[in-house]
Amino acid sequence: MAKTIENYFDQMRGTRVWRSVFRGGTGSSTLRRSLAIQQNVFLHLFSTKVRRRMLSFSATWYLGTLTLGTFLILVSTGIFLMLYYHPSVPQAYADTKDLQFVVSSGLFLRNLHRWSAHAMVFLVFAHMFKVFYRGAYRPPREFNWVIGVILLLITLLLSYTGYLLPWDQLAYWAITVGSNIAKAVPVLGNNVHFLMLGGNLVNANALLRFYVLHCMILPLTAIVFIAIHFWRIRKDGGLYSHQSEPKTLAAKAVPAPAGAVAKGAQ
Amino acid sequence: MSDPKDFVAGMGSDFRKNPVRVAFVTRRTSAQVKVTDEDQVQTFPEVLFRALVAIELLTIGLVLISLAFNAPLEGLADPSHTPNPAKAPWYFLGLQEMLHYFPPVVAGVLVPTLVVIALVVIPYFNINIEAEGLFLKDRKRRLRVFYVVVGLFCLFLLYFDVYVALVPTLIVAGFMLLAAQSSPGSSSAFRSYLASKPLSYWIMTWFLFELVVLTAIGTFFRGPGWSWVLPWRS
Amino acid sequence: MQSSRNKLSALWQTLFGDPIRAFGVVSLLLLLSLAIAPAKNHFSEWRHYQNQYLTLIRGRGDAVTLRRHFQGGIQQIWLPEIGAVDRCTTCHVGLKEASLVDVSTQPFRRHPAIPHTAEQFGCVMCHRGQGAATTVEEAHSSTLAWEQPILPARYIESSCGQCHRAPLEGTPQLNSGRNLLAQSGCVHCHTIKLPDGSAMKGTDDPPSLLHIADKTTRDWIYAWLKDPQAYAVTAKMPNFKLRDADARDISAFLIANSSPLPGDASPVAAGQKAPDPTAGASLYGESFCASCHAVQNAAGNVVGGNLGPELTRIGTKVKPEWLQAWVRNPRAYDPPTEMPHYRFSDQQIAVLTGFLLNKTDADLLANVHLDPATPEQIAHGKTLVTEYGCASCHQIVGIKKPENFAPELTRIGSKPVTQLVFLPGMAHNLPDYIAAKIRQPRSFGSALKMPQYTFTTAQIDALATALLSLTDRTQNLPAALTVPSVPASDYQPAGKAGQLITDLACFSCHRINGRGGDMAPDLTWEGSSVQRQWLFEFLKNPNTLRPALIRRMPKFNLSDADINVFTDYIMTVYQTPAFDRDSMPSGGYPPAQVEQGKQLFYSKYACQSCHIVDTKMDKGYIGPTLTQVGSRLTAAWMYQWMKNPQALRPGTIEPNRNMSDDDARALTAYLASLKGSGKREAKQ
Repeated sequence: MAKTIENYFDQMRGTRVWRSVFRGGTGSSTLRRSLAIQQNVFLHLFSTKVRRRMLSFSATWYLGTLTLGTFLILVSTGIFLMLYYHPSVPQAYADTKDLQFVVSSGLFLRNLHRWSAHAMVFLVFAHMFKVFYRGAYRPPREFNWVIGVILLLITLLLSYTGYLLPWDQLAYWAITVGSNIAKAVPVLGNNVHFLMLGGNLVNANALLRFYVLHCMILPLTAIVFIAIHFWRIRKDGGLYSHQSEPKTLAAKAVPAPAGAVAKGAQ
Repeated sequence: MSDPKDFVAGMGSDFRKNPVRVAFVTRRTSAQVKVTDEDQVQTFPEVLFRALVAIELLTIGLVLISLAFNAPLEGLADPSHTPNPAKAPWYFLGLQEMLHYFPPVVAGVLVPTLVVIALVVIPYFNINIEAEGLFLKDRKRRLRVFYVVVGLFCLFLLYFDVYVALVPTLIVAGFMLLAAQSSPGSSSAFRSYLASKPLSYWIMTWFLFELVVLTAIGTFFRGPGWSWVLPWRS
Repeated sequence: MQSSRNKLSALWQTLFGDPIRAFGVVSLLLLLSLAIAPAKNHFSEWRHYQNQYLTLIRGRGDAVTLRRHFQGGIQQIWLPEIGAVDRCTTCHVGLKEASLVDVSTQPFRRHPAIPHTAEQFGCVMCHRGQGAATTVEEAHSSTLAWEQPILPARYIESSCGQCHRAPLEGTPQLNSGRNLLAQSGCVHCHTIKLPDGSAMKGTDDPPSLLHIADKTTRDWIYAWLKDPQAYAVTAKMPNFKLRDADARDISAFLIANSSPLPGDASPVAAGQKAPDPTAGASLYGESFCASCHAVQNAAGNVVGGNLGPELTRIGTKVKPEWLQAWVRNPRAYDPPTEMPHYRFSDQQIAVLTGFLLNKTDADLLANVHLDPATPEQIAHGKTLVTEYGCASCHQIVGIKKPENFAPELTRIGSKPVTQLVFLPGMAHNLPDYIAAKIRQPRSFGSALKMPQYTFTTAQIDALATALLSLTDRTQNLPAALTVPSVPASDYQPAGKAGQLITDLACFSCHRINGRGGDMAPDLTWEGSSVQRQWLFEFLKNPNTLRPALIRRMPKFNLSDADINVFTDYIMTVYQTPAFDRDSMPSGGYPPAQVEQGKQLFYSKYACQSCHIVDTKMDKGYIGPTLTQVGSRLTAAWMYQWMKNPQALRPGTIEPNRNMSDDDARALTAYLASLKGSGKREAKQ
């Protein structure tokens, strides 16, 4: 049966329509497989080959991949939630209630969005610590680490701005507590606080501001940085593996006979 | 990398067909083979579909969680009724816990700024790149500095009564002392592991430990007026 | 064993052998898990109830009608101006179906008839709960997202009180609770702001303590403070559960702090003894003291009115000279008192006070042994008086009435449950909290100041009902929806007659122009109603108008000059604009018409079932006796009264018989002929 399905897929991939969309062509040659990556606008961010060692679960725990997964869930559920939501007071709260009680599967959408958001924050932190403990921030990957830190901050801001949107007591006071911290900034504290909330208190202005940040500015910024983040993995020599580093290899290598000609590969 | 010593050479291909850069091996140098062809796989389909499966499994997990547990929703926001305690989102509760002890300018501005700066600069310090065991070189002087820094820091925490941050600090310091008494050649795998760890490892571990402990305390152990409560005795 | 393992491993290979296969299989699983949510949606509670309803009505005779009324899907009543989004009717489908009278299972019961419809106000406005919810749990219970659960049915009247400030016929519990709030002194400590911005006022009159040392002894104050209800079971003062030393110090402070009453309070000459031991009791009875004052009889029953204090142990409380001065003229001691100024002779005063002072209870003070007060005790007493807020109710020399002494209760009915501190084992809801707090305030902590009242369970429920009506909505309701209360009148007649009305405390019992009590008839239009001669005689010696009543008009011993002033004032001022008092003659009707009226009285209208004309034959005790009504009421009043009683006195139980003009005129002629047996009837 499995064979039948495979044949069916092969046939499908051979059709003219499919070929017009995916140019890689059929077949499982290395070339075809490389083209599948290189000729796709999204996938060409990745390298065409990966060290087999890095496939194992223990190498990365797939934390970066999973973080991307939560981001994709959040974008798709977020778009659905936007269909039902007005960023105004107190309609925002009524909309949240309607999601729970009237919208078909509205509660499920909101749950999925909320829990995925928590999962994303957790996974971003976990990813960061895993990268650190693997030493994967080492040159030439310094800047990708910095982009990672930026993505961590964007993730926190995304979660924080989204926290206000249901406009319930939990949201209101969490944002009040959080935004009051901004007041402590020396000299500019009150200005920062005002800029953040669009006023001196958490009110309708703050809700609208957080909504725009949460649904437009921050996600777009995140997408840009995620793209750079992935692209830099390829540019910085693939996923870091201590055993594959030149120095590690040098330490293990055996001395070659003198006079031999070495071929540089860089 | 510009040092000729580090020239990376590959063997086994016909250089007459494929002319490449050539390095002369002089008497002062010894040629070493630095790169072996590592076993590689094609991203498509090996990596791509593994990643997709991982994402799908995560989604299934989250879908099941979302079916079983409802996202919290409280009453309509009411500026005149402050809940007690008013808590920030969980990932900021470590900060809020610190706000309980330190003035806002320290806990709310200084500490987060320093953390972000510290995270950013990690890859730009050679000491982090070399990653040699903290106490392997210059052990006596480093131990002295270690005692002074940890001692001062603990006094600082004691001054502000921050016992919740003191305990993780002392535990990490204890492991660092154990590391100082160990060598990479130790028969115990754990001790040789500890001995090989660099400074950045210790700081990051301490940070992670504090982060987890403070966040957990803020989330579970804080009740009305930010007083200490036990979650299982509600 | 081995083969099954091989089979399993082969299966694993087939499903997850390479990443693409695994992707296919996992994708299928993902799609399956995503399909659970819509499925869950399909089996929602409200669909279940709607299906149940359809099953329920299928077998009924009126199934076709019911089926036509039924609308599937989520139903809601949306009223933006009152903020209602009530989806209760999604499950409560049969609310409006009168024919479901036999269905007793919820959520299909029909709603009892009420003056409002759900389309006007929705459901939540009265029943509370979360209207937007479409699950049983969320709609009815208190959750984190909605703190007001369904209001228990026994407090439902509180919801009426959100809009209706005026008493409603259908809400006895709410009315009684509001009266209790005003009468029991609650509002002296707790501010309750009404939606119009005014504060609720107390209708009780806690005695002034400015001159307390003139009135009573320190021992009695001590005993009273320790347990007011030991002195009088009907005492309104609550029990503050004071420690002995505290009661000692407060009593010391009150006595030391009292200022002597200025003016002459000369005691009655000692020689005036009661001529016979029963004279006191009969004077007490003749003066109708019992209309306002109660006495506990041997059986323990409290008999008498509740306007004035209970007198069971009055002799143990007051000093004789104070009581004599009080009976002579209560207004000298306490100008705003509700007690009328009887014009008693010295002889009568001696008789009456002698009778009252015999009402003692030696046990009350038997165990009170107070040493003379020290300055420290007095100073401590002053501190305690301030701490307990005594001045909230009582006037005390040198202590100002504290502002906002106790928590404001203006919005108590909307108080979030999260802000309440419950006792262990208590149900976590607002009504139970309020009831428990009234029942035993100190159970929430011995340091609390609120004293212990002696309310019955019914009274506590009534109070809780009144308090639950004080919600956010009460305050924020659009003006168009409020039904305001009749504003309290501060009517005060002028001149000499006005002074008399104050002095005799007429307002304690009678209502005039919206001010006054409801024990006795409204006198607003008394001048149109009665004949001058009768009124003069009545004030001189009130007789019984209604034999069935125990509480009657007392005799004030007024001088003829005072009565003339009074009568002239009433006859001139208290006239209705509706008709002319003198538009019909008071007598001289043709005998035929009188006879026709008599026929109508006894046959067509059967008035004798409530009224008495012939004392031997008639047995009507519900309405006033009419034996001499011809000399009491004006003919015009009688005529207008029979045409439409409620127009003259709203709320009177006299039925409106829709008489023709001729019938009314004939009856008037008959009644006007009933002049009594020459003089007024003998006093009963």
